[in-house]
Amino acid sequence: MANEILIIDKDISHANALGVYLKRKKMNIYTAKNSDEILKLFDRINIKIVLADPSSFHTDFISILKKVKKFHPEVQIIIMAAPEEFDYTMAQLKDEAIHYMLKPVKSAALDMALKQAKTWVTVNNKLLRYEKKIHILQQTQNLFQQLFDEIPCYISVQNKDFRLTATNKMFKRDFGDEIGSHCYQIYKHRGTPCEKCPVSDTFEDGLSHSTEEVVTSKSGKQCNVITWTAPVKDSRGQISQVIEISTNITQIRQLQDHLISLGLMIGSMSHGIKGMLTALDGGIYKLETGLANKDAKRTDRAFEQIKQMAGRIRKMVLEILYYAKSRELVYETVEIEKMAQKAAEDAMAIAIKKGTRLKLDIAPSLGTIQVDPNWIHATLVNFLENAIDACIYDRSKKNHLAKFDVFEKSPNQICFIIKDNGMGMDQETKEKMFTLFFTSKGSQGTGLGLFIANRVICQHGGLIEVDSEPGKGSCFKITLPRKKPDLFPIVSFP
Amino acid sequence: MKKILIVDDDPNIIDYLTTLFEDNGFATFAAHNVKEALDICKREIPDLITLDLEMPEEWGPRFYRKISQEKNLKNIPVIVISGLSGSSHAIAKAIACLQKPFDRDELLKIVKENLK
Repeated sequence: MANEILIIDKDISHANALGVYLKRKKMNIYTAKNSDEILKLFDRINIKIVLADPSSFHTDFISILKKVKKFHPEVQIIIMAAPEEFDYTMAQLKDEAIHYMLKPVKSAALDMALKQAKTWVTVNNKLLRYEKKIHILQQTQNLFQQLFDEIPCYISVQNKDFRLTATNKMFKRDFGDEIGSHCYQIYKHRGTPCEKCPVSDTFEDGLSHSTEEVVTSKSGKQCNVITWTAPVKDSRGQISQVIEISTNITQIRQLQDHLISLGLMIGSMSHGIKGMLTALDGGIYKLETGLANKDAKRTDRAFEQIKQMAGRIRKMVLEILYYAKSRELVYETVEIEKMAQKAAEDAMAIAIKKGTRLKLDIAPSLGTIQVDPNWIHATLVNFLENAIDACIYDRSKKNHLAKFDVFEKSPNQICFIIKDNGMGMDQETKEKMFTLFFTSKGSQGTGLGLFIANRVICQHGGLIEVDSEPGKGSCFKITLPRKKPDLFPIVSFP
Repeated sequence: MKKILIVDDDPNIIDYLTTLFEDNGFATFAAHNVKEALDICKREIPDLITLDLEMPEEWGPRFYRKISQEKNLKNIPVIVISGLSGSSHAIAKAIACLQKPFDRDELLKIVKENLK
């Protein structure tokens, strides 16, 4: 309440009379003898009204009043001036004072001035409060805008026509700045509203709804999202808009799919794994009995079997580990001839053991290539081993031959050809051969080898071409670029 | 000498079981698929059969159904040896169902008990 009033009047009796009058009006009266006292009073007491005769002090009192007004703009100044000073004072202070009265002050004029001053004090207080509230509102608005934009979800606000009225930064980034467009056009690239729409449900019942959707970004990429809607009400409590928040769960779904296929893989491979473990048991049994009976032949065969089984188990485990975790290639620059020779040596050992011929034709001076040498070696050996096995499984002819040719296809490409005249493949096998879990080797196959080989070649930016005929044999042509690709092809899990 | 027919598409397992059974005084025959197994069965009339379930072309229970229809084959005891889980439900009348990798002592015990 504006009850504190400072009276500044050089005329003591006039000032006293004013004091008495104002006390009766329940006002608290303060006086000051000089300009310092005035300023100190304002520091101590919440004075809202000054009733002053500017000629009271010898110093420039008008500048003191202006100072007060500057530091305490809410203070209302009522000026009393003698008639001869009235015009000058008014010209000096102008609208710094709220009211001008002639001295001696009449009670009616004083009442009117006080009323005006108190009204202005009240109005100023309200304005100050409103200013504070506006400031808080602005801060809140800024915070809201920041949250709206920075939350890592797609947020959109839609009206009853399903038109976008607001979108956040992430939404704009992936779907465009499409205020005014229909949400189903932007989200689903549809011409008509979706049949099952959580926004529509929220408009209908005023409740939040959650669904899982597949949406399409402006670049055409599809992603899985979990969508949650909530009503936005106007001042009358009516639902005027719906806010839709969508979280991108594409990676989670991909991970889930991968885990499911991993589970399927383990399930389908368990039979093969158990077979290998049983065969390993067989080798161990023969070793034990061979040693016990000093049967060197049995012992030798046992060792061979154990080594073979350990090798197959190792291969299977590595394939499972490869599939379980997406692996980045570790590129090196290697001599093509050396790399091909190394793969050929390993394959030759297998060919000799299995009684098949393997012919090599590696062109000289092929130069270098940028590859992950471990994976390319494993891939080439896989193909060579398959060629050797195709010859063994083929009982229709006697003279079998597997061939491994390496040459430069173009200055930037190297070609590896693995050919055999073995059993060949029918159409179904050709179509499914790179599919996960497909094997033509029965219990001997893992269903992973060619799938992984294909992935490795794709990751290198290469290509595999297959030609095969049942009974005649197969030809695998692998083309690899000399340099590692600039943009790595995205090889996703199935 | 008692005769055992080993039916499995995996040559390593056939080799294992052949060695195991022959070491224990049994004569053995091996079949890689159902057709071979039926031919050998009819020819040799084994005293016991070990049967894998998952084989290419035809699977184990089909072989069992076929021998169940033959008068002189239907009472031959069959031991299922398979990597498939739930294999005990595949052939209800099998005298035993062993999961790969099996315990060889347990297998020999069952074989000897049934071929006394």
